[in-house]
Amino acid sequence: MDNNETPAQRPVTLDITGAVEVKPSLSEAPISPLPSLLPSSDVHFQEESIDLGGESFITPEEDSHSTPSESLMDKLNDQMMESVMISDSPNNSEEDDVVPMDNLLEQFEEREEEPAAAVFKETLVEEEEEVEEKMDDLIGQDTTEIKIEAAMMQTSPVASSPEEPENVKQKLTTDDQDVITVSVSAVTPEDSTPSSGSPKPEAAALEASSKETTSKDESIPVCTIFSQGSQPKAQALVPDGFQPTLIKSPSFSSSTGGSTEITPSQLAPLVCQPSPSLSKFFSDSGHVNPATDFFDSFTTSSFISISNPNAESPKSAAPPERQLSASSGSSLSTSGLTESGILTPSSFIGPTQTEATPRPLQQAPVEPAPATAPPQPFTQLQAVFSGGDDPFATALNMSEADKRYDAWLPSEETRKVLISMATQHYSQVFVERERLAMPGLKFDNLQGDAVKDLMVRLMGEQAAMKRQVLTANSVEQSFLGLKQLISTKNWRAAVDLTGRLLTAHGQGYGKAGQPSSHNTDSLQLWFVRLALLTKLSLFQNAEMELEPFGNLDQPDLYYEYYPTVYPGRRGSMVPFSMRVLHAELPQYLGKPQESLDRLHSMRTVCQTILDNLEQGLAEDGSMINLTQENRQASLQLWKSRLSRVMYAMANCLLMMKDYVLAVETYHSIVQYEPQQKVQLLSGIGRIFLQIGDIKTAEKYFLDVEKASLEKGSGTIDTCVLMNRAFIYLSQNNYSEAHSSFAEVLKIDPKNPVANNNAAVCLLYLGRLKESLRQLEGLVQQDPALYLHESVLFNLTTMYELESSRSTQKKQALLESVACREGDSFNTQCLKLV
Amino acid sequence: LTSQQYSVKSFAMSFIKHLVMRLTKPTLFTNMPVTCEDRDLPGDLFGRLMKEDPSTIKGAEALMLGEMLTLPQNFGNIFLGETFSSYISVHNDSTQEVKDILVKADLQTSSQRLNLSASNNTVTELKPESCIDDVIHHEVKEIGTHILVCAVSYTTQAGEKLYFRKFFKFQVLKPLDVKTKFYNAETDEVFLEAQIQNITTSPMFMEKVSLEPSMMYNVTELNTVETGDEGTSTFGKMSYLQPMDTRQYLYCLKPKSEFAEKAGVIKGVTVIGKLDIVWKTNLGEKGRLQTSQLQRMAPGYGDVRLSLEMIPDTVNLEEPFDITCKITNCSERTMDLVLEMCNTRSIHWCGVSGRQLGKVSPSASLSLPLKLLSSVQGLQSISGLRLTDTFLKRTYEYDDIAQVCVVCPYMSRES
Repeated sequence: MDNNETPAQRPVTLDITGAVEVKPSLSEAPISPLPSLLPSSDVHFQEESIDLGGESFITPEEDSHSTPSESLMDKLNDQMMESVMISDSPNNSEEDDVVPMDNLLEQFEEREEEPAAAVFKETLVEEEEEVEEKMDDLIGQDTTEIKIEAAMMQTSPVASSPEEPENVKQKLTTDDQDVITVSVSAVTPEDSTPSSGSPKPEAAALEASSKETTSKDESIPVCTIFSQGSQPKAQALVPDGFQPTLIKSPSFSSSTGGSTEITPSQLAPLVCQPSPSLSKFFSDSGHVNPATDFFDSFTTSSFISISNPNAESPKSAAPPERQLSASSGSSLSTSGLTESGILTPSSFIGPTQTEATPRPLQQAPVEPAPATAPPQPFTQLQAVFSGGDDPFATALNMSEADKRYDAWLPSEETRKVLISMATQHYSQVFVERERLAMPGLKFDNLQGDAVKDLMVRLMGEQAAMKRQVLTANSVEQSFLGLKQLISTKNWRAAVDLTGRLLTAHGQGYGKAGQPSSHNTDSLQLWFVRLALLTKLSLFQNAEMELEPFGNLDQPDLYYEYYPTVYPGRRGSMVPFSMRVLHAELPQYLGKPQESLDRLHSMRTVCQTILDNLEQGLAEDGSMINLTQENRQASLQLWKSRLSRVMYAMANCLLMMKDYVLAVETYHSIVQYEPQQKVQLLSGIGRIFLQIGDIKTAEKYFLDVEKASLEKGSGTIDTCVLMNRAFIYLSQNNYSEAHSSFAEVLKIDPKNPVANNNAAVCLLYLGRLKESLRQLEGLVQQDPALYLHESVLFNLTTMYELESSRSTQKKQALLESVACREGDSFNTQCLKLV
Repeated sequence: LTSQQYSVKSFAMSFIKHLVMRLTKPTLFTNMPVTCEDRDLPGDLFGRLMKEDPSTIKGAEALMLGEMLTLPQNFGNIFLGETFSSYISVHNDSTQEVKDILVKADLQTSSQRLNLSASNNTVTELKPESCIDDVIHHEVKEIGTHILVCAVSYTTQAGEKLYFRKFFKFQVLKPLDVKTKFYNAETDEVFLEAQIQNITTSPMFMEKVSLEPSMMYNVTELNTVETGDEGTSTFGKMSYLQPMDTRQYLYCLKPKSEFAEKAGVIKGVTVIGKLDIVWKTNLGEKGRLQTSQLQRMAPGYGDVRLSLEMIPDTVNLEEPFDITCKITNCSERTMDLVLEMCNTRSIHWCGVSGRQLGKVSPSASLSLPLKLLSSVQGLQSISGLRLTDTFLKRTYEYDDIAQVCVVCPYMSRES
């Protein structure tokens, strides 16, 4: 190489060998036009050579497929590898292929319709421009195929792009699969620079999809997640651990954004559009909601006067229901009790008779106005829940368990407010509005069932009728109904139901920023709602609704703030799990640092509480005597909470790819959860495998073997075998890996992980049919275990690899999903759109 | 003219499907733990849902990284030095048996065309719904556009010979950026600093970064700190490189004795050796690269080289000390040398200046003991030697030859 320019003292960028710059020395036949094809002897071949000239590629079968099918969104999300079938050569030796360019160009346009083939998911479309240049270089000396392809890349966008805008909608609704158009149409002429061009079509598609949904169901705000494909595929399937193989190199990132990395901008399409439907909700039933008026006037003040209702009559003897309605700001639409005790939705949207008079500003509501209000539906719902908001009950048996679970250490500022609440019985305490938590729904309706939508699209209304899932309407409007929806995996419906219940509590749509009071149940509802949104990967929605809660430290989120409602009760109303959720959420939105901050401060609180307990104090550091039994129970609880926070931290660090700290943190959990040692060490080992450090992984797996021996089960633990399989896998020894997974199955034949992993190994061994048979059998025999998105994703990937009839097979999967899974099923793993 | 051809073509098209999937390593499924406590509204519901989920780790459901393997979801990136693996499946979609199927997979790069098929044998027959499978591997050795060309030819029952091809294009990117820097020591040692930057987008475990020296040198790696039995890496416990991170590897090269003696011989550009880099990524996906031969311009010594053979590192103030210089004639002619010694502000030479050293033939050298003292404390540079070749009347100046630390002996004794 360049021998002359290697000065000793300055850094030199080196050529990496391997990139041997050999001039193409190809033995191909010289490029010559059509005539060279003609001398061919075979009759068929001669006919074929003419074929190249035109529409000859439209087969009857393809005709039926030829409607542009995929939504533009999908085109952007799917990085399809260009798979172009170019020539049906008259000769069998393809090296001698020579095809007239014009013919090929036209042919290519036809080829676009081919419901093709490649399971390659990446085109590197954005590199196209560059490629063309390179290809131009090649054309000179190189094979014809390349020349052809280069030419096609230039022409095809032109051919396909003009139709696009009109077709977007159509594409959204048709059911076909079309691979090639994907790659091609993504490169519209305007898209010449990937960075500036690519967002445009996406936006257009979004618009189109939202139009479609809005036109369908009028003004009811519906989350647009179901307009297929708007959700980045990879993100939906795998939060992050997947990334090593998925990430694009920086130069590609601009237009391949949809694929892997979770960034807020990509999540944007997931956001439900808020809409003022609630007022419609109310007015539909023909009544005005006076509560709105009440708040409108009330909230013009920047201060809220809080008075102690005990001021005039300490220990007032008001009936519990009354007090509750007073304390909750009386914002509820208070309908009568339904006789059956089961509330129908209409009871929520029912009229409010009592609260018509707006309360004057700054006036101490010494005697709460709606004291005479009839019991609310909401309070009735609360009866179902064991938490017990009955102030009397609470006062009487302010149980140790409550104290233990509710304990929390507020910030100094909040603590002062709470102390003054407790001490200043006879005067008002002013709390700045900004310092209160004033949550409200930010969107209204998630509704819908992706599985059913997909069935309608692919199989028609008739077939879709078979799909029956529970909705928010079909269950009891109570916590019982909510639990029913959750356990049947109808999380969307469950979110809707939490919305209704919160609306009944006065924290409905549009109520954010308006004061309302909290109680145990309302916060539990918020927790459930936010947890489900997170489970559904609707992180942005969860974030929007969590935002009014701030850092979960506002004074009105503590029991001390409501001395009449919860006399004597202390601690946080916010469940601990909601704090964990609140801390974990930012990491899913690309803000892992924020998550870490929150988790660290949670860890400090947990640690302080544990210290207090160990020093013989109460959880909050007060000098209350705890019985030994209670102290032990409390220590145990807070240790498990600390370990939950540590898990969250380690998970977050893993997501950030800070492997050093992640491993350290997972390690430190062992001391809190010694019974999870085997799982934790195996997990750390897998982290090392993910990085590629197989030696260190082996060390950890060895520790696992020791630990499992200590347990003294005698036989080899399945997890030891599983770890061995992963080591083999990392050494590219798929057959040994397969037999290790098979050994696990001898011990535990129903192990879904081993079954799935064994099938994956078979594919890498070139045994596609066997692998398919195994996975298919599993899904049929034990759908409860195997209708999991990871298994289905593997299965559909193999269907695509197997034959062109993958769509039918995938639809069969969809049908079995439809029989079993709830509305929270992530249909994207079926790859049907 | 064409209607008949259409039918032939379409008929042919529907016989066989040919599909390709890149086999990168599978990935481990990660789940998203959402937990609650028994007293929370959902009770044990969330916990139960997580336990029932097959992808969670049983007994440690809050652990995010699961054990379920999932197939690669997209083509991903491929880097120079990695192995390109691909599944090639040819499936008979028709209801008829086809015969004499030949599947060929070639890889076209910008410079060459490689045959990747495991076998080039014709498969005699392929029944409906059955397939021919092949997994191909290829270590990627070029950057830039690659095209996988898959060709299938077969014969239908009617005796028609059919043939089609597919093209899969992908880009091979550069995974590492390697920069080197040489440092020449006073002795003939050479230090090589290699900066290796990960320019991929995923973390990389550096399994091996070694320098394979050329025949002239012996190499010592300076990337571990000896502590006890085992050396620990200077890069810490976990030897992985985050995207865009750079790491410096240091090597010390000593000329082998047979080359070192001919000091004048190492001149101009010399080949030092090459770096051999092996890395691994997700689940052991391996890559390996070698740099081209690293070359170094040996420092020019001019006609006469003056090097130090012996010098104390610390000397006492105003106390004479000895050094030994080695004078080598690096030129092609014989020299007649005269040595002059000029005092500087701090260095005072002892002995006679301007003495004759005599004739020195090419490549020969002579040893020269000298005595000097320093009048200033601290780190002092030894300067002021002048050699004059009386044949050509050319004077060579030698300043900053070496440094000594000058200390005051009385201070230390008192303390």
